[in-house]
Amino acid sequence: MTPEFPDGADLPPDELSRRELGELLGAAGAALSLAGCIHSPTETILPYAHHPGPITPGLPLFYATSMVLDGYATGLLVRSREGRPIKIEGNPEHPASLGAAGVFEQASILELYDSRRMRGLRRRDQPAGWNDLRRRFGVREGAPERADRGAGLAFLLEPTSSPLRRRLLERIALRFPESSVYAHAPTAGYGSRVAARAALGAALVPQHDFRDALRVLAVGSDFTASGPFHLRHARHFASTRRVSTPRDTMSRLYAVESVPTPTGSLADERLRARPSELALVLAAVAHELGAGSEALEAAADRLSPRQRELAAVAARDLDRHRGRGVVIAGEALDPAAHALAAWLNQRLDNVGSTVWYTEPALHLEGSPAQDLARLAREIDAGAVDTLVIAGGNPVYTAPSDVPFGELLERVEETICLAPYENETSTRCRWAIAAAHYLESWGDARAYDGTVSLVQPLIAPLCGGRTADELLAVFAGEESHDAHAMLRDLWLGGGDDGAGTRGERGGDRFWERALQAGLIEGTTLTRSAPVASLDAAVRLLEERLREREPPGLEIALRSDPTVHDGSFAGNRWLQELPDPVTKLTWGNAVLLSPRTASELAVGNGSMVEVETAGRAVRGPVFVLPGHADGALTLHLGHGRVAPFEPAAAFGFDAYALRPTAAPWVVPGATLRALAAGEMSARERRHHALASTQQHWRLEGRDLVLRQTLEELRARPDLAAAHRGPLPSFYGWEPDPSAAAHARDQWAMTIDLSVCTGCNACVIACQAENNIQVVGKEGVRKGREMHWIRIDRYLTGPPEEPVAVHQPMLCQHCERAPCEYVCPVFATTHSADGLNEMTYNRCVGTRFCSNNCPYKVRRFNWFDYSHGHDDTAALVWNPEVTVRERGVMEKCTYCVQRIRGAQIQARLEGDRPIADGEVVPACAQACPSRAIVFGSLTDPASEVSRSRQNPRLYSVLHELGTEPRTRYLVRLTHPHPELARPDARRPADAESTPR
Amino acid sequence: MSAIFPPWSTAAFRWVLVLVAALLLAVPIALMGWVRTPYVTGELVPIEQPVPFDHRHHVVDDGIDCRYCHLTVERSPTAGLPSTEVCMGCHSQIWNDSPLLEPVRQSFFESRPIAWQRVHRLPDFVFFNHAIHVAKGIGCESCHGRVDRMPRILQVVPLTMGWCLECHRDPVSHLRPREAITAMGWRPESDAAALRAVLAKRYQVSPSTDCSSCHR
Repeated sequence: MTPEFPDGADLPPDELSRRELGELLGAAGAALSLAGCIHSPTETILPYAHHPGPITPGLPLFYATSMVLDGYATGLLVRSREGRPIKIEGNPEHPASLGAAGVFEQASILELYDSRRMRGLRRRDQPAGWNDLRRRFGVREGAPERADRGAGLAFLLEPTSSPLRRRLLERIALRFPESSVYAHAPTAGYGSRVAARAALGAALVPQHDFRDALRVLAVGSDFTASGPFHLRHARHFASTRRVSTPRDTMSRLYAVESVPTPTGSLADERLRARPSELALVLAAVAHELGAGSEALEAAADRLSPRQRELAAVAARDLDRHRGRGVVIAGEALDPAAHALAAWLNQRLDNVGSTVWYTEPALHLEGSPAQDLARLAREIDAGAVDTLVIAGGNPVYTAPSDVPFGELLERVEETICLAPYENETSTRCRWAIAAAHYLESWGDARAYDGTVSLVQPLIAPLCGGRTADELLAVFAGEESHDAHAMLRDLWLGGGDDGAGTRGERGGDRFWERALQAGLIEGTTLTRSAPVASLDAAVRLLEERLREREPPGLEIALRSDPTVHDGSFAGNRWLQELPDPVTKLTWGNAVLLSPRTASELAVGNGSMVEVETAGRAVRGPVFVLPGHADGALTLHLGHGRVAPFEPAAAFGFDAYALRPTAAPWVVPGATLRALAAGEMSARERRHHALASTQQHWRLEGRDLVLRQTLEELRARPDLAAAHRGPLPSFYGWEPDPSAAAHARDQWAMTIDLSVCTGCNACVIACQAENNIQVVGKEGVRKGREMHWIRIDRYLTGPPEEPVAVHQPMLCQHCERAPCEYVCPVFATTHSADGLNEMTYNRCVGTRFCSNNCPYKVRRFNWFDYSHGHDDTAALVWNPEVTVRERGVMEKCTYCVQRIRGAQIQARLEGDRPIADGEVVPACAQACPSRAIVFGSLTDPASEVSRSRQNPRLYSVLHELGTEPRTRYLVRLTHPHPELARPDARRPADAESTPR
Repeated sequence: MSAIFPPWSTAAFRWVLVLVAALLLAVPIALMGWVRTPYVTGELVPIEQPVPFDHRHHVVDDGIDCRYCHLTVERSPTAGLPSTEVCMGCHSQIWNDSPLLEPVRQSFFESRPIAWQRVHRLPDFVFFNHAIHVAKGIGCESCHGRVDRMPRILQVVPLTMGWCLECHRDPVSHLRPREAITAMGWRPESDAAALRAVLAKRYQVSPSTDCSSCHR
């Protein structure tokens, strides 16, 4: 029989004819009756022939490495079992991670074992060898070099901070002085660089420290959930919002944004503004702070009264907290906004304390469109005969007015490095399989400059090469081994460009650096340049002079789950719900409720968005909290690569991206498509697959919210939602069982700091072998995530307040699921876990029906089958892979608990220390919203959280006594600002479908 | 009009009812019994190995401790099979031209593993940990039997869940001092019950019967 789910993707399993059903029933019956007669198959054990050093079969090893995204490194620790990496975790010593890991880092391991990866090297359609490439482009004895000194040679790179790559580029420049290097960065901003040169007089980038930031103004910036330092920012920002007694203080966040983001959902004061208005809000704040200029006043006048009011209040508030605030402008904002933010930070004395400037970590920054357009002009002029594309997928990510794909075919020699065959590689003469970073040697800098090492955990599975190895061929290096080049760079006395010599003590230094994953003392030096208000005003005047074409504004954004499209083939990420819309497998046209009703479209309406003669078609998703008169499109979907069926969902928003305005496209029109204009197939392709259908709380107390003032006035609000309830049965723990258990496990989730960023969801998926069900499965509500993040909206639909609530098995002490299981497959352990024993489960689903939290997941199909052997390598060997017909749910990572217990008992029956057992979700959480530990230790973090006045149980009135508790969502709004949602908020009027 | 059914049909019908009831009971009982037979559990089923490794000889004649080869048994979930290097530690000197050891030499020189056939097989949803059992005073012999008498390794216990639980519910009668963990045929010298009570206390033996102890 063919596998049921070849790609875990888009095969609706239920479209069976009656005949097929009969056949299957017959086959199943025969298989069942035969199954009992078959002996268990014999299994072989393959011990090592030669034992590799540190490996102990059965025990994991951790290695430090780094993942590079958009040129910036994030330090990671990778768990390896018997030589195969199985789980990616954050490196606590690394400044960009601090122990947390984001969704891209964690999900990237799935691609390592993807059998659809490109293999080796090909020239046209023929397989080739690495030496063919070297003979063709490397230095050869006796062969003459190019006569044009490299004038026809061009390199197209991804943005990079790698000191090794910098050295290679320098050597290429020595060998081919006339060659040119371009960088294409589809997700990069450009405003901050233009602003820095104009207002600061140098190409500097701002660095922010949120640890001491009591007042934060974030304009178009999702600093806690995207960007190279978001894990660090989220951790630090959350640390200013942990209120454990009513006397504590907390920071206040003003967020101004056009589309709701995770950061915006944390805001104490959130303001909607169209993308083009974001800079004006900063201008109004500057105006309030006494910057005298007509342009600033003119800009402020363009704002609505509410926008002006917030700008005024925020300005005064920031001014009262001089030196302890941060003004941060989003990467996609224009130069005027960045220049104003720089001036504001200076005016507010933040520079030097919470804000400082450094040289950019990237030595090759690139731009989302302009660099590629420049290269396109060169190709068009016939000036390029050899083009090396060392990473990225420029044919897909090119702006719409650059026909890069066609131009590529006019270049004589094209060499492309790609992990999969993609839109670019299929058009290139040479295609080289890119090594996964877990197979590579390399280096890169974190956002603050820290040099981070990329260390392989496994030999290249598909014979891949790194960009450095490819560039080494053109640099004429004798060795093209990245490890040797890296050692030579860092130990050989070379200059890394930051003035730090390589004479560092040889192998011991190197071992230490590899162990830590970074090289100490390589952060970039701080500077505090003077920001010029005049320059900012000039940039703003330029902005104000621009004519605003009528129509809607399009804000383009890199996708929170597939980024620029490079993760589109990753099934975990495709099925990961967008933190805001909860959409999976594709994108949508995001509109505010008012704009949607003006345009007479609703959720799921198929529309055509058109600008400058280009159009895309897709479904509408009405998003309360979105700015009016604008729409947001996520990049990265609608890939055409036919070999990645998972990648094809959604529409390609790059088709609307012009070179001149890569992030905000004005003058768009939107038109609802009539019934006949879109085929049924296309409609099915674009159908919305959301994991949450209802957004209102309906007056139920699932999510408790309070302001800091209210907490001080009424610290006992949550008390009604915790504590003992009357019961017929009474509740006494079984003394014999409790005697066995030294620990009683519990979890507390702080809703005040949860951004809904999804790091926990992917961490859980990777740790617990959670399968993907595909778009059709999600549409039927069959997704398997053990932890979901519910997002509730309260308040009026225009200005809703969004709250994220991670929902997972609550491990009820009186668990409704346990009472109804007819076969005792779900039981309670002595240490307070609600256990799920898969091998006992017969699939009645009674437990799921009786679970008030709806956290149990059922295996409707054998989702784990149908994968090839390579794909199975990613599975955690410490967790059972579930089969069809069994229920599953969060176990509090019981494999980690039992592992720690065994380890503690092996080490002389010592007690388990607090923090020794960390479930995958808590470990990955950047803001440390999840704490886990034992209640028997009164000093443990979770025991202390139980004393918090904000503690409550969800659905407390049911008397389930959950072990997972929540802390009331706390905000700190400004008392002077009018509330659009008065006291008891009416629920938002919006529900998709 | 004559009766359609003769008089004896009542009796026959009753017998059929009894028989159906009996079958309804007997079939599940028989199946439950059958899965516990050695035929299903794999007890005492001889398994052909690529190298006719003789535990009896290595344990008794050579006096090699179990942990010399199964070297991770005290710290890892798996006891570990020795790498070919360990075999060649001795067999590069003795029996180094024996044709029986050809697969071992081949493995060593070609760096290819020897494909041993698994004898003690637990289902994939069971997570057994050797280290904790050894640390708590459960000897090799308790589960693996008299390996010193086995020319060829056999599974001598049923390895069913019921068998595991028997010991998890009453571990004390299976305890032995850690010094004698690998000893074969170990018997307490004097008062067994008293010694085991002391050991249970010393090793803090308190096995769990929670499902998640083994099923995760």
